[in-house]
Amino acid sequence: MNNLYKSIMPKIKELKTNIYLLKRNRLTRIAYYLVLFLLLLSVIIPIILPVEQHVYQSTNPSEKLLPPSAKYPFGTDELGRDLFKKVLLGTRISLQTALSAVGIALIIGVPLGAMAGYFGGFIDEIIMRFTDIFLGFPPLLLAIAVAAFLGPSLQNAMIAISISWWPWYTRIVRGQSVSLKERQFVKAAKAIGTPSYKIIMKHIVPNSIAPVIVQASMDIGGVILTIASLSFLGLGAQAPVPEWGLMVSTSRNYFLNAWWYSIFPGLAIFITVLAFNLLGDGLREILDPKTRNN
Amino acid sequence: MRNYIIKRLLLGVIVLMGVVVITFFLARVIPSNPAAQWVGPRATQEQIDKATIELGLDQPLYIQFTKYLTDLFKGNLGFSLRTKQPIVNELKTYLPPTIELVIMSTFIAVLVGIPLGLNSAKRKDKALDHFCRFFSVGAVSLPTFWVALFLQLIFFRALNLLPLGGQIDAKLKLIYQIPNYTGFLFLDSLISGNTIIIKDVYRHMLLPAITLSLYPVGLVARMTRSALLEILSEDYIKAARSYGIHEQKVLWLYALKNSLGTTVTVLALSTGYTLVNTFLVEAIFSWPGVGSYIAGAVVSLDYPAIIGVTLFSAFTYIILNLFADIIIALDPRVRV
Amino acid sequence: MNKKLSVFLAIVLILSILAGCGNNNTTQNTPTQEPLDIAYYAYNSEPILNWDPSVMFSNGIIILNNTYETLLRFYPDTKEFEHVLATNYEKSEDGMVWTFQLRKGVTFHDGTPFTADAVKFSIERTLEIGQGASYIWDPVEEINVIDDYTVEFRLSYAAPLDQIASSPYAAFIMSPAIKDYPSDWFEAGNEAGTGPYSLENNSMGDEVILTKFNDYWKGWDGEHFDKIIIKKIPETSSRRQMVEKGEADITLQLTPEDIEALKNNDSVKIYVEPSFTNLIAFFNTEKAPLNDINVRQALSYAFPYKDVVDYAAGGYASQSIGAIPKGHWGRGENLFQYSLNLEKAKALLQESGIQQNELKLLLTYMSGDEAERKAAELYKAELSKIGVELEIRAMPWESQWEMAMDPLPENRQDIFIMYWWPDTSNPYSWLYSLFRTEESILFNMSYYSNENFDQLIDLGYEKSGIDIEEAENLFIEAQSILIDEAPAIFIMDKEDVWVTSSSFSGFKYNPSYPNVVFFYDTYRK
Repeated sequence: MNNLYKSIMPKIKELKTNIYLLKRNRLTRIAYYLVLFLLLLSVIIPIILPVEQHVYQSTNPSEKLLPPSAKYPFGTDELGRDLFKKVLLGTRISLQTALSAVGIALIIGVPLGAMAGYFGGFIDEIIMRFTDIFLGFPPLLLAIAVAAFLGPSLQNAMIAISISWWPWYTRIVRGQSVSLKERQFVKAAKAIGTPSYKIIMKHIVPNSIAPVIVQASMDIGGVILTIASLSFLGLGAQAPVPEWGLMVSTSRNYFLNAWWYSIFPGLAIFITVLAFNLLGDGLREILDPKTRNN
Repeated sequence: MRNYIIKRLLLGVIVLMGVVVITFFLARVIPSNPAAQWVGPRATQEQIDKATIELGLDQPLYIQFTKYLTDLFKGNLGFSLRTKQPIVNELKTYLPPTIELVIMSTFIAVLVGIPLGLNSAKRKDKALDHFCRFFSVGAVSLPTFWVALFLQLIFFRALNLLPLGGQIDAKLKLIYQIPNYTGFLFLDSLISGNTIIIKDVYRHMLLPAITLSLYPVGLVARMTRSALLEILSEDYIKAARSYGIHEQKVLWLYALKNSLGTTVTVLALSTGYTLVNTFLVEAIFSWPGVGSYIAGAVVSLDYPAIIGVTLFSAFTYIILNLFADIIIALDPRVRV
Repeated sequence: MNKKLSVFLAIVLILSILAGCGNNNTTQNTPTQEPLDIAYYAYNSEPILNWDPSVMFSNGIIILNNTYETLLRFYPDTKEFEHVLATNYEKSEDGMVWTFQLRKGVTFHDGTPFTADAVKFSIERTLEIGQGASYIWDPVEEINVIDDYTVEFRLSYAAPLDQIASSPYAAFIMSPAIKDYPSDWFEAGNEAGTGPYSLENNSMGDEVILTKFNDYWKGWDGEHFDKIIIKKIPETSSRRQMVEKGEADITLQLTPEDIEALKNNDSVKIYVEPSFTNLIAFFNTEKAPLNDINVRQALSYAFPYKDVVDYAAGGYASQSIGAIPKGHWGRGENLFQYSLNLEKAKALLQESGIQQNELKLLLTYMSGDEAERKAAELYKAELSKIGVELEIRAMPWESQWEMAMDPLPENRQDIFIMYWWPDTSNPYSWLYSLFRTEESILFNMSYYSNENFDQLIDLGYEKSGIDIEEAENLFIEAQSILIDEAPAIFIMDKEDVWVTSSSFSGFKYNPSYPNVVFFYDTYRK
């Protein structure tokens, strides 16, 4: 544990510098605060507005499909529920699912990459050809196929996304791990007869985790979009769960009369994904040595 | 270089095989009772038993896999649960409209994306560059299905300029009897020279094509920009500039030409993205293509159809990427 | 120059896009033939997936009822039969022997003349294959050809054969020549009927084009359509717009909101018609605590009938009274109706020893059905108020059904929502299929079994062909048992709302043939 702490401390310092660098670009700065705000929303909103009371029980069909007003800033849906509340509550669902999906992908991808890089040779070949195969599918396609076979639910959508996402992390960690292997402290650990799995867990993984975390945070936007897409196809969240993609999907039957029903949940997806992607783009810029000095 | 191409081809074959293995797992190993799933729930025990034998599910896994593979080679993807038709025939029906759409939107992507990326690179860190960055990140952050609805609201509902959906007015098609030369409706209508039909088909195609082009426009602009920036800092460009060669010529002739490798890769990549994005968009536009087909298959859990489309799309994507890599390798400027 | 070039490119692009806009059709191209009168039916699902008239038991009736004909056609408003391929028929006193006189001068689309042999062949083929709705012919013991234009049915038990012969499913008469065709002839998309239209073109699951059959026995004098397009347009908003703009002539299954918006639009006509479709929620009576009558009654009192009728169906429905829908014979107008009463529901639950927040139920419905989804969400809201948690799961029909047939009752859903409509115009069509004891599960989604009930409805069916009033009383008595024991919630009897273009004329809906447009009767005016 101590070891992990030691190896992570300098990274945190580096992170602080990076955040400072990030905020120098105006667009990135906005994105940075927006992401913080969205994360805050996703924690607070479900406490202020319990979903049971504010979505499931709040059907009020005599006020269906009302346009935006002071009472209902985003209008109401086809059963008279407040779209503003539904969209707000959707933040939690999207962020939570996206973070879990990326988390699972990391759990699968990181050890595999560390092993591939550390052992090299045959094991490396096998693992990396495996990632090549998974990356052979166009993005989203594998997620659709897996989700369809697992059956439609938000949880299965999450698993499907993890299954199609892990190879990216394997690739990054492998690259790190190949160079770490040659470092003195790893060689030393090897020399005193530390078992391979311990070296991987104690030295390789902690020291290669930083770039992969950066990559993962850049991916969140794409994952949120994928979740919304799966829900839109009917392979994710089920009604009446206030998931954005599902809301847009349901709105298809009403949108010509009630534009607000499609527009607001869609905007929520767009703004959230954009915030994460701009932040990711900013990260890439400052971490790329070619552009950094600018 | 030859070694590289051989290696790349070999990898392509491995990936293709791997994709086949994965779909095999999806279809045969994950489900608890694949035979029942294959024939659909309305089936009798007798039919399930028959399917068990037909699919070879009573055989060891490796024999099943061999059979799966030979079926694939013969072009046999099984039968759709919904329509009871061979999947291959269905794909043949639904592919042409999708291919037309993908080509059209890729065309738009090149037409808009490359100039955008080029100008953005030229004016790095100027207003246009910031706009370009925002636009390209924005384009890949947009939920395509939402854009489709949004465009329908504007161009159909508010302005009443373009049709809501479909590929052609069905009555026009019956009245004018467009001959089926190629199976591609737009191409056929062009050949027929009937302006009413050409216009109708074109108008129907616009909204879905624009919707689908947004993502590749962002991608192409972005990649062109970063490739150009890299090239512009190379010595030979600096040399060309110092010789006083016109800046436009430097940009368009030398720099862009040298960044074509990247562009080709991006186009291959974005074609794959666009193909999958049709899954989200075609149904909204009532476009009779593979996208609508798989969206319907997903809703009714038509597993053989899902597998068929998955295999087809993955193969297309892999082969496109393979071509892109080989074209780049053949480029003498690239040192492998 | 570069700037100019990019501006130029942008302008070219914008112009080329704008060129596609605008509605002027000033071109001098002329159609390749004389103008055709084409009718376009925008349908919400696959128009047909099975071309075999003996087997087809789903959407395909909208096609096959235009390409094939039956002996009789039933009109529920007058309770009379139109003589189609039969010119007359009589039954024996005990209802065991039925004799049909057949129409002369009718030919099938393949040129074969229509005779008594064709009738015998068609029905025997349907019985032999034994799929789809073939069970409607179960009472038939033998079919005798008396002469070319007379056919006799001998039954093994009394049954209303006129109602059976007018069924929208499995009662089609087909050309006997098909027995020599290859076995996949139907699968490939072919037909051999006597109907007014024959098949011109078919892309499976998407679009069907019919063209008029020149030798149709009623002839083509007067106004009719030359060709019919029936096309799948799943997107509700697209269907609405197509009819509004006159591209399509007729459609259905629009949202109540769309119908509201179209009401004052002169370019369309709206027909609100009774349908024989009702929406029913079945309780899993084999699973605790739903095996307790009190619990089922409690859940019946927790259902928001009025909101569902008003908002899920947009008012185009009425709350059901028993299992038989409005306008159909056998409906018990004086039977008890449950209504929303949460206090009573709570009390009944307590009586059965069920605590707050203890009961969790799973409801399944068919994905894509907006009315079912809305009903389920409204129900969930009410149940949540009395401490019952309802999970709603949208499933493709096939999966919903598969789950309902799981061998273990615990693995099945708790509540199953579905529509039902009749295969023959007889109350038995609901009561037998939905509530009669089943050896293996088919459509009895309550898994309900009551011997007394079974006897009543069997007797009712036998009496239907002989004494319809007595039959009606028996069916109503049987339904009162269903209401007491509450194996299901009878939610609402739907109305069908058809929207047609203003020039589409002659349309008259017959609810015994759900979603069918008999195109021969329609014309453009």
